[in-house]
Amino acid sequence: MPEEKTTPIEAQEGEIWAFGGGKGGTGKTFITSCLGTCLAKRGRRVVLVDMDIGGANLHSFIGISRPQKSLTDFFESGVSLSDLAVRTEVENMALITGDIYSITSDTIKFTQKMKLFRQLVKLNAQNILVDLGAGSHLNTLDTFLIADRMIVVLVPEIIAIENMYHFVKNALFRKVKKSLKEYGFREIAQHIWDGRQSYGIKNLKEFMDYLKESFPYLGTILDEELAGFKITLILNMVRAEQDILLGASIKSVLMKYLGVPVRFSGFIAYDDAVWKSVRERKPFMLNYLSSSCGKAIEVLADNLIQGKEVEITGGF
Amino acid sequence: MPQEDLKKYFDILELSPSATLRDVYNAYVRLKNLFSGDSIVLEALAEEFPEKRRKKVLRQVEDAYAKLQAALKNEPPKTSSMMTDEPPAEKPPSEKAVEFTSFSGPVLREIRERLGIRLDDLSKQLKLRVELLKNIEAEKFDALPEATYLKGQVKSLAGCLFLNPDRVAADYLKRFREKKQK
Repeated sequence: MPEEKTTPIEAQEGEIWAFGGGKGGTGKTFITSCLGTCLAKRGRRVVLVDMDIGGANLHSFIGISRPQKSLTDFFESGVSLSDLAVRTEVENMALITGDIYSITSDTIKFTQKMKLFRQLVKLNAQNILVDLGAGSHLNTLDTFLIADRMIVVLVPEIIAIENMYHFVKNALFRKVKKSLKEYGFREIAQHIWDGRQSYGIKNLKEFMDYLKESFPYLGTILDEELAGFKITLILNMVRAEQDILLGASIKSVLMKYLGVPVRFSGFIAYDDAVWKSVRERKPFMLNYLSSSCGKAIEVLADNLIQGKEVEITGGF
Repeated sequence: MPQEDLKKYFDILELSPSATLRDVYNAYVRLKNLFSGDSIVLEALAEEFPEKRRKKVLRQVEDAYAKLQAALKNEPPKTSSMMTDEPPAEKPPSEKAVEFTSFSGPVLREIRERLGIRLDDLSKQLKLRVELLKNIEAEKFDALPEATYLKGQVKSLAGCLFLNPDRVAADYLKRFREKKQK
């Protein structure tokens, strides 16, 4: 566990927590801002990175105006990532913002992306919280995949569940493809996938099982490569107690259907204090700490740091 | 059963190998409900996962539960057999009580306890008072409701204990009516 390292802070690379999940409006940005504040208040150095390149608005959630410099300057003028960080109202917490108009994800080159990822871990911070945009764009997936914590935020709604599932599946697919490519198995894997019907393969899990069976050596590689693929689940805007059980259900379905380990780290009840705070454009965790939502975020932060899960006492 | 096989079944029920029979039961009920039915999670992914796949998962869950239940029950009972030279009984004592001819209150209680289900959990699940469940188990027939109501209650109780509700209700109600008439 990286948190337990006792090495000097200077020698330590920041731990990246990426927040994704496919659907917009599930509260990714809000939760990123809250957890960032929470961690910073506990004395950790935190950098928030707004990677919602098409619709960056993380700054609004922490009470600052749009920073002058953004990721546009990184991509177009080669400004280093650490120079883009601006201070926020919260001590120990800085922000790097995306940009609304000047760039779109499509124009980012592969080499630029790699440079971004390299600089990301080198930021002078213990926790780097990356707010990803909605959707399953390749850049979004790649950023998600480099994270130490791959966190999905969803709400108890059918469309959110569907989108989240596809997001996780796409990320897993991307990871498998990249691993296969790295070991020179791209063509053969592509061939098998294209002819999957004749091989009796119906889904990604069966595809991987087929590869593992046919090429035992590949099985070891895939197992190793995918060992780090662990999903952390946060359920937001919970309105009824049964919704909490839904978190456990989603976890079970992801594990059974995709074979992916999932940790259900927390849920946050729907709370009117949130929209009030968003309207006031102030960091929520500074002003609404004692609200039900504020308390839930504290618990969530504990769970994330300690790798704990929500205990399900439903059923019997 | 080899430990490795058991590990597989614990994995299916999303449990660690240190789980108790009660944990196993809880996980089983939750997963069985999830994959049997109308959860919005499955509804959301209905296109992705056909019925066949869902049923396969359900079978795995059932199988894992059966295997673990058997394995955990057969863990050597903590007896004082070391102190005696008598040969062990043909059947372990724990199996004796399930040799019964009808579903009486005490038998239902025995089965419930064997499954590691607590009365208050059962009460919450069935939305029936603990007192009533106790009276059913103790066969305090005078304290029980009328046969029409009781039948439904016993049936739902039987369902939770993985027993055939009709069979149990028929047995129980027969005893209930006989005693009442006396």
